[in-house]
Amino acid sequence: MTGEEIKDLILEIIEDIDDEADLAGLDPAGPLREQLDLDSMDFLDIVMELRKRHQLQIPEEDYPNLATLNSCVIYLEPLLKDK
Amino acid sequence: MRLPVLIIGGGLSGLAAAVRISRFGQRVLLVEQHTRPGGLNSWFFRNKTLFETGLHAITNFAEPENKHAPLNRLLRQLKVKRSEIEFCPQLGSKILFENCATLCFSNDFNLFETEINEKFPGAIDKVRNLLTFLQKFDAFAPAPFRSARAFLDEIFAEPLLTEMLLCPLMYYGSSNENDMDLAQFAIMFRAIFLEGMFRPQGSIKDFIDLLLRHIQENGGEIRTSCGVQNIAQHKGYATAVLENGEEIECDYILSTIGSQETEALLQRNNGARDDTPRLSFVENIFQLPYEALPAGAQGTTIIFFNRGEKFHYQRPQNSIDPRSGVICFPSGFKGVAKRELVEIRTTHLAATEKWERLAMVPEAYQQEKKRCSGLSCSTAESLIGDFAHAVTFRDMFTPLTIKRYTGKIDGAIYGHPNKIKDGNIGLSNIFLAGTDQGFLGIVGSMLSGVSIVNQHILPRL
Ligand SMILES: Cc1cc2nc3c(=O)[nH]c(=O)nc-3n(C[C@H](O)[C@H](O)[C@H](O)COP(=O)(O)OP(=O)(O)OC[C@H]3O[C@@H](n4cnc5c(N)ncnc54)[C@H](O)[C@@H]3O)c2cc1C
Repeated sequence: MTGEEIKDLILEIIEDIDDEADLAGLDPAGPLREQLDLDSMDFLDIVMELRKRHQLQIPEEDYPNLATLNSCVIYLEPLLKDK
Repeated sequence: MRLPVLIIGGGLSGLAAAVRISRFGQRVLLVEQHTRPGGLNSWFFRNKTLFETGLHAITNFAEPENKHAPLNRLLRQLKVKRSEIEFCPQLGSKILFENCATLCFSNDFNLFETEINEKFPGAIDKVRNLLTFLQKFDAFAPAPFRSARAFLDEIFAEPLLTEMLLCPLMYYGSSNENDMDLAQFAIMFRAIFLEGMFRPQGSIKDFIDLLLRHIQENGGEIRTSCGVQNIAQHKGYATAVLENGEEIECDYILSTIGSQETEALLQRNNGARDDTPRLSFVENIFQLPYEALPAGAQGTTIIFFNRGEKFHYQRPQNSIDPRSGVICFPSGFKGVAKRELVEIRTTHLAATEKWERLAMVPEAYQQEKKRCSGLSCSTAESLIGDFAHAVTFRDMFTPLTIKRYTGKIDGAIYGHPNKIKDGNIGLSNIFLAGTDQGFLGIVGSMLSGVSIVNQHILPRL
């Protein structure tokens, strides 16, 4: 997957969690949780969806790597390069 | 059989936990000892009519745009769309302290504020201070028991108002005699007064069917008439032996049957019995034609009442204590489909040991049931108007009924007074959710299932 594809994947997952999320004005460098008004329960869903869709096991200590859209790309690119 | 997660108990906490786990494609098996799911909030058939065992009202009503409201968070977590449930909000409820005061409330908190202002002039500023306090207070942070009553006495110095506020919140969510934990008070105050109550269109069966459908569509499995006999922890896995002898190996077990009930399955309580008093209740159902609903039922959803000088939320001296209780009109919700026959339901505190003694002589037990049903009926009549003459069917559940169908110790609906809020019972792969974790009621127990799964199981699967 390319960086762009990963971004789309994350956005698709967020839309799936909360179909009213406002994705249009999202700052890729800003924290997802604050911008989308997600709570920690919703945030866990991103991790779980990545596992369900791409069999990715993300350990708890790595969750902070998913804080922003940009950091998601940096963290996930090597993990998803063959997918 | 080996699987990632086994859930013990098909009450609302177990069902919610099963939806949550299966939603991410994880294999999960839920086992329920009774012939049907639902636990405390299930249903049964009499005279070809479906009766709900519980369900007066669901708390935590929220409008769809209120994203962080517990109800909406819960539905999101379960991936249940709001459109799958038809919400019927309450018409209006009241706290009625006979010969003292009545406070009406609805899903609009302004009404409650106005009522308090009228009946307790001077107290409204203190109530607003309470609201400010509750807004900042983290009810979910781990903390030792703190008396809500002492807290309210201090800020109000108005004993009647304190008791009137506590009455509904205790009846709908306190496992402690004459008090409740301040955190639980904060949760229930929000759930009942600030957010309000509703019921889903249809019956609890439709609601449970909805959860079952999600579990099935997600690939989860449910077995009823399938009790667990014992459980054990081993290095890296846990096992459960079912009543039919089958052994199930799993990575995690989530037990929703109660803390001591779980200890009994683990066989590690060393036979020591914990005698902390538990609260139990009786529930009466009076079925009658819609036209026969008395004046006091009109436009009303629930009445929380007290007739004595002081409100006693404790194990009664006698089999039941009719001095206080709850009267519920399940037809009193906006938009509920009109039916020819409707119900009046009443709840009172009960003494389990009295019922246990009575049950040794079946006729005496039946006789006392009849007497208590009559007592409850006349109590309700004196508050809302006559209806006994029109009753077409009546039934009453005692604490023993509840014990028989759900296995709850002493038939105590709200379980052990001390809660294990983090679900941690000292084992690395067996956790506790539901009643004895501490979130009570329908929305509470479902949130309990979901949050314990989130906290301990999902991140590690
Ligand atoms: C009469 C009544 C009225 C109520 N009214 C309301 C209301 O109006 N609004 C509201 O919000 N709440 C109400 N409640 C409370 C609410 O129903 C409960 O708080 C909630 O349903 C608790 O769910 P739970 O999953 O924690 O426990 P439970 O429902 O007790 O579920 C536990 C399940 O485990 C099963 N089990 C036990 N032992 C085993 C075993 N060894 N193996 C397998 N399974 C086992 C039991 O059969 C049971 O189904 C009411 C309760 C009652 C009894």
